[in-house]
Amino acid sequence: MKIISIIETVLGGRLLALMTKETRQILRDKQLLFLLTFPPIVQICLYGFALSPDVQDLRLAVADECKTYKSRELTSALVENRVFKMTGAFDNLSSLMKSVERGNVDAGLVIPPDFDREISQGKQATVQLIIDAVDANTAGISQGYATQMIQKYGQGLVSNPITMPVTSQVTYAYNPGLISSWFFVPGVLGVVLTLTGILVSSVTLVKEKDSGTLEQLLMTPADSWEILVAKIVPLFILLNANVLLALAVGKLMFNLPFRGNFLIYMFVSDIYIFVVISIGIFLATSSKNQRQAILTSFFINLPLIQLSGALSPIESMPDFFRLLSYLNPLRYYIQCIRHILLKGVGFEVMWGDILVLACAAIVLSLSSAARFRKQLS
Amino acid sequence: MKKVLAQCKKELAQFVRDRLTLALAFVLPLLSLLLFGFAIRLEIKHIALVVQNFDTGLMSYDLVDRFYNNGQFDAHKWSGTHPLKDALDKGFAKAGIIIPPEFTRELRQGHNAHVQVFVDATDVNNARVIKNSVIGTINGFLQDNKLIPVNLPIKSEIRLWFNPGRRESLYIVPGGIAVVLWIFPSLLASLAMVREKESGTILQVYASSITAVEFLAGKILAYLIISGGMAAFLIFCANLFFNIWFIGDPMPYLVGLLFFLFSSVSFGVLIGTGMNTQNSAVQTVGTAGFLPAMLFSGYIYPIRNVVYPLSLITTIVPTRWFVQLSRDSFVRGSGWIYDWYLPLILAVSGAAFFYFAYANMSKMQLKV
Repeated sequence: MKIISIIETVLGGRLLALMTKETRQILRDKQLLFLLTFPPIVQICLYGFALSPDVQDLRLAVADECKTYKSRELTSALVENRVFKMTGAFDNLSSLMKSVERGNVDAGLVIPPDFDREISQGKQATVQLIIDAVDANTAGISQGYATQMIQKYGQGLVSNPITMPVTSQVTYAYNPGLISSWFFVPGVLGVVLTLTGILVSSVTLVKEKDSGTLEQLLMTPADSWEILVAKIVPLFILLNANVLLALAVGKLMFNLPFRGNFLIYMFVSDIYIFVVISIGIFLATSSKNQRQAILTSFFINLPLIQLSGALSPIESMPDFFRLLSYLNPLRYYIQCIRHILLKGVGFEVMWGDILVLACAAIVLSLSSAARFRKQLS
Repeated sequence: MKKVLAQCKKELAQFVRDRLTLALAFVLPLLSLLLFGFAIRLEIKHIALVVQNFDTGLMSYDLVDRFYNNGQFDAHKWSGTHPLKDALDKGFAKAGIIIPPEFTRELRQGHNAHVQVFVDATDVNNARVIKNSVIGTINGFLQDNKLIPVNLPIKSEIRLWFNPGRRESLYIVPGGIAVVLWIFPSLLASLAMVREKESGTILQVYASSITAVEFLAGKILAYLIISGGMAAFLIFCANLFFNIWFIGDPMPYLVGLLFFLFSSVSFGVLIGTGMNTQNSAVQTVGTAGFLPAMLFSGYIYPIRNVVYPLSLITTIVPTRWFVQLSRDSFVRGSGWIYDWYLPLILAVSGAAFFYFAYANMSKMQLKV
């Protein structure tokens, strides 16, 4: 009997009417629809195309004081892999140094005049490589690469060429082509959902406060939970559409793989949508007007994004910040997205992350609902 | 001039009165700087590595020891049959190595032994770092066991200039200061401009004898002072937390900073003249200011990696030039001879933003 009465209130009663009102309001609001579609598309494209840690086309200048075919071979061995590209040749050391100092080139190779002679006499020749290490990360990778290339070239020079006794077959799992957008775009999918979700849910609620229509809603016989549910359900559906839109953009523009289960993806996203809507409601209940809500959202979004591992890996953060990131729901969501898209694993691996997300969703939605009701009464 | 100063004084008084904007001007920039400076690190220091050793010979143990003792890799307990499936898939290791049976015997007999390496390439950058370390370790192992000659015909001496310890904070923090100093001054200035419109006081300005240039100059001067304070505060904090300071002549930086703040504030005012509500102003600064400053300034990832048509945009983003100037002043120590053109570019961009703001403003005023 009780179930039937609940269904009756939902279908025939106020809740449906309230939901219709909310949906119409959202659909009428051109600015809101714009916020739901345009920024996510632009952000995904910009992040995907602009961010890349690739180490390639580093400008290499050579001061070849030897000028024999061996020294030229060494140079071409270094540039053959596109990590370095030749940008200049200098006759003397000092002009090369100056060029590195100015930042005109990223690396400088100095081949001494006796390079060829030393090798043919069976001695060890020394070449010097100067790397601009302002960008610490790039410098590290290019250093490792240059060492390997010079070593390899040297091994080929010995009269009875050395075959390496140990061959290491390196397999890049999940992203064999090392496409950097495959790292960033899944992270940005999470960031975009967070930004739009918090913004849209807080704005729709605060608007009601701003215009004073919240009081009018209160005077109707509707319960506060009905008002809240009626607000959340249309947002929930819209944000689901948003997830699909973002995924489609990632797929079309960046050819992202989708190796896991689509239903699990939507399931995890739905849990996370509850998290962002709750944060939005929380924000709305704690600010007086739209301006305050938007400005305060800066304080929330910044740590949420920076500590999520969307733009830089979490494993490399200092301990304190890494521990802090465990409190960040976005971290778990992005981890799940990467797991599903790139690794193609399922519940057996992600259950821990999903559990944490679900707990966060429950705690946040209960507390924000409580705040909302308290404010209404 | 008097009018400009009066306008400036009024702005400052208004600014101090609002708690939220005050927090926005000092707390948020510091918070951002700390987050940017501490939380953005690209290179993993302790790479979780699992090794599956099918060999029982001494050499295989020696190799395993080398992996775990060079300070780059951390051992991790795991059980299962395949490192890829049981460690990488589950995400607790970043790399897995399989040493085949007969590894020691093959090497002793002068045959070739294959070692299989699986690297989790979800994080592309660290996949490269891991590969380099694995190969470096194996090469060291071979040399020390006299399996390849120690003295190769060519020795490479590699010098890392400017940042020999490869401190990542030296790269990130100067850039971070630049990004923060773009976002917040422009945000504050745009809010101040729009507030005038929202509350309708802009009409009083139109009706008064103050000209558009004087009005804008007063506003910009006020926010230049505020953001100058912000900049000093941030540089001081950067010195405190990250131990960075000017190397060589700080003059190019200071001159560039002035012009950079001028363009940032003018950009904010320009957005303010174009928008009608504080909401839309914040949104626009967020999209048109924040995103380019983050993505097209090269402050996390090298600017040369931006894909071609977008890379054209980077040249008109002032933050890009100021990031470069910051790094030159805090890490390279270049001085005027190398960096003379950077303050110039920033000055031009500031003037351009000011002109557009002025044009926008006079469009709204009636011609007398």
